[in-house]
Amino acid sequence: MKRIQLGEFEEIVLLTVGILHGNAFGVTIKDEIEQRLDREVAIGALQVTLRRLESKGFLKSKQGDTNEARRGRPKLFFEITAYGKKALDYSKESRDELWKALPKLVLKLK
Amino acid sequence: MRRADPPRFIMRFLKWFCKPEYHADIEGDLLEIYDRRVAELGRSQANLRLYKDVILLCRPGILRSATFDQPLANNGMFKSYFVMGWRNLWKSKLYSTLNVLGLTFGMVCFLLIGLYVYDELNFDTQHQKGHRIYRVITHEKNPNNEATTVAAAGYMLAEEAPQALPEVEMTTRMQRSGRSNLIDPENPVHVQETVTVADENFLMVFDFPVLEGDRRNALKEPNTIVITEDLAMRIFGRKDVINKYVQFDYSQTPLKITAVLKDHPQNSSFSFTSVMSIATWLNDEDFKREVQSDWASTGFTVFALLRPNANPDSVSRKITRLVHANATLEPGAILSHSMQPLKDIHLKSAGIADGARNSNVDSIPQGNPVYITVFSFTAIFVLLIAGINYTNLTTARASSRLKEIGVRKAIGAVRGNLVKQFLVESLITTVIAFFFSVLIVALLLPVFNDFVHKKFELFTSVGFQFWSAAVALIIAIGLLSGGYAAILLSRFNPVSLLKGLKLKSGGDFSVRKALVVLQFTISTVMIIGTIVLFMQVRFLNDSELGFDKDLMVVIDVNVAKARSNFEWVKNEMSRVSAVKHVSATSRVPGEWKSIPRIKLKKEGSVRELQTAYTIAADRDFLSTYEIELLKGRNFQNDTDTMSVIINEAAAGILGITDVSDEVMIPQVARNQFFTPIYDDANASFNPRVVGIVKDFHFQSLRAKIEPLILTYHSNPIFPIDYYSVKIHPHNIQATLDKLKAIMVVNDEHEPFEYHFLDDQLALFYIEDQRSQTILGWVAIASVVIACLGLFGLATYSAEQRLKEIGMRKVLGASMLSIMALLSKDFVKLVLIACCIAFPVAWLGASRWLQEYAYHIDIEWWIFALAGVIATGIALLTVSYQAIKAAVVNPVKILRSE
Repeated sequence: MKRIQLGEFEEIVLLTVGILHGNAFGVTIKDEIEQRLDREVAIGALQVTLRRLESKGFLKSKQGDTNEARRGRPKLFFEITAYGKKALDYSKESRDELWKALPKLVLKLK
Repeated sequence: MRRADPPRFIMRFLKWFCKPEYHADIEGDLLEIYDRRVAELGRSQANLRLYKDVILLCRPGILRSATFDQPLANNGMFKSYFVMGWRNLWKSKLYSTLNVLGLTFGMVCFLLIGLYVYDELNFDTQHQKGHRIYRVITHEKNPNNEATTVAAAGYMLAEEAPQALPEVEMTTRMQRSGRSNLIDPENPVHVQETVTVADENFLMVFDFPVLEGDRRNALKEPNTIVITEDLAMRIFGRKDVINKYVQFDYSQTPLKITAVLKDHPQNSSFSFTSVMSIATWLNDEDFKREVQSDWASTGFTVFALLRPNANPDSVSRKITRLVHANATLEPGAILSHSMQPLKDIHLKSAGIADGARNSNVDSIPQGNPVYITVFSFTAIFVLLIAGINYTNLTTARASSRLKEIGVRKAIGAVRGNLVKQFLVESLITTVIAFFFSVLIVALLLPVFNDFVHKKFELFTSVGFQFWSAAVALIIAIGLLSGGYAAILLSRFNPVSLLKGLKLKSGGDFSVRKALVVLQFTISTVMIIGTIVLFMQVRFLNDSELGFDKDLMVVIDVNVAKARSNFEWVKNEMSRVSAVKHVSATSRVPGEWKSIPRIKLKKEGSVRELQTAYTIAADRDFLSTYEIELLKGRNFQNDTDTMSVIINEAAAGILGITDVSDEVMIPQVARNQFFTPIYDDANASFNPRVVGIVKDFHFQSLRAKIEPLILTYHSNPIFPIDYYSVKIHPHNIQATLDKLKAIMVVNDEHEPFEYHFLDDQLALFYIEDQRSQTILGWVAIASVVIACLGLFGLATYSAEQRLKEIGMRKVLGASMLSIMALLSKDFVKLVLIACCIAFPVAWLGASRWLQEYAYHIDIEWWIFALAGVIATGIALLTVSYQAIKAAVVNPVKILRSE
């Protein structure tokens, strides 16, 4: 599983797409991250990450409907692929592994 | 509610850089967020964040890759155009030099004239609220139906207008009441200054930059004064003079300096060096009472600051109504007001009398809109001639580039490529020429400044606006002059080009001919214009005025004692050995201040009262000025207080044919209006006519000789104001020093102000003189440019016809006939140009001469001279090439082939 490397922001985006299940497109993803994690998300950064994840095969996209606020521009909905799911699992597992290996003493240091 | 649209350019920018497959939905996201932000934060914040977002989107994952189907792919071609353009220019150095030279000449003329015109057109634009400031103009008609228009109004009008009319935000009053010495009481240095008073709004309406002091309160208090830094330097030698005191000679009240203003820029109609608060005068109860009922006088220059969107026409109507409601007008008098925009004061004040016309002050300098128009046209024409040069030379040389064009087409250049190639070439030429011309303008600027009495600096005195307009125009000229050649040359069929067919010079050659004709028409018109102007100015300066103006020193009477003591002064002056004659007068012939007028008629005549100008003079007046007495006698002694001498024009209107008639003078107009001479309105001044003098031009030659009454120096109308001293030409400075010594005896504060009458008279025509010089130089430049073009064309046509010339020589043609062959074509064109130019020039010149009551006739020789000059120069230019071609050895030419 050497190939599945997720960056921090990539992981967040991937997770958020999962959370939003079925309603994940640019604006909602941005809002969701901003709300939950209380951090500013630049559209540029988000879009680049989404496209990268898609090209790696973690996400797939499909064009959806539009509405008045978008003046006829389509929404692009994202969905996690099985591969993406695997990547998330791998990521979580590897973190857990590391957490377990961490001596208790270290955690007490503040 | 209408939805706010995001700025379009940023969305376009996004579309430009974004990968097309990503674009639609990213834009959708941006728009959705944008709308939300508009609702939350407002539009400008939303825009700002949108910019940020879009700029942050410029990152590798989103940017489209540069592929070759994009429009930017032509970069390489453009580079090639520049390289090829440069090589082509370098290859034909002669023609390139001619082109650059012609364009440079044209641009130099254009830029210099442009600077001047721009400055004239932008007078008084330094005030921030300038577009809302209007000068109140009064139009009056007295019961005798005499109309006057004057740039002044009453005191109360300015006081009440802001209260009565909602459109008027603020008004300010200004008066230039005369001249006086302004001194620092502790350290008197005598500086004669115009006395200007204004109310406290003056510095609020106008943005005269304040160096020190508070603009809001500077003119509020009585006995306060605001001065410019220039005056501060002259009086105190430094600029931090706030709270110091100065005083005018005529009053004992010290005035506190409350603010120091920056000096006026050169394009300002205001030239005051000090402004005293009007409150100073309101301390005087008489003045206060007088102004509080002053609705309809024309004592003050009133400026009104209107609210945005106010309509000046309706404001003028309302002001007129306001004045009518309050003022008591003479029965039969008509009065109305209009509003003149601040920016029109400099150029559009013809026919409007200065508000300070009666005071002893210089009037506001006016620009001449006629000259501005003429200059603008000539500037554009010169540039046009230069542009035509380029077109002509390029199209003429087309055939030497036919092979190049053919090859280019054959290897795949489409017409657009060739057009661009030629345009780039012409742009390179124009840019080089522009560079040189800016350099030359920078070098010429000091001389030019001296000449037009302005202080231009290359980049600081005219804004960015001027230069961007100039650059835009010059690029346009480059494109236009290159454009015709580009379209023409790119049209040909490559096969015929490569087969070596010669260019059929049918259509384009006639266009070229027409352009040469146009060039020479413009040049010839300018030559004629210059000659006419020159003759007229010479005529104005040299024409017989009817009096002697040379070596006449005119000394102003500035202190009371110099007036009362005048017999003694005259005596002392005439004892100076270099002085020929001395005379004391109220005004002088060729007067630069206003001359008082009187109403009069012959005693016992039933005719209407006539108007005449009046000058008070002593018995030496006629001999000093060498004015010819036709009938009767001169003034003799003090028994002549009831005598007058009149000129022929006055004799004519009064119906006086012989001396000893009595005339009745009931009224005098020292200012705009005729008022009774004596306090008793029914009394009149009834002097006897003792002499009639020949008409002399006591005013500018623009005006006809008006009726003139010479009264004795002691008279009820106007006191003496000048000494006229006729001096010997040697050692003038020593004579002046002696005269000054005499004047100073009267009063040690005497500033000794003097003028030489001939210089003063020349000032009447200074504008004409200046225009003549400018037009002269422009005419020379235009001829030179046209000749450069002609030279190029001649060179080229000689080159083209070398073989023909060789054949002719072999067959026995003489040198002369070959020269004639080559010159004929061009001379014909110049002659056609002359035929067109003559009527145009005649029309223009005669229109302009109508301005003068006395002017030269336009004579045929002027046209002949212009024609000879134009043809001669053209012939000279062409003949150099013609001779070169004619003397060449035919063997050399015919040897090959």
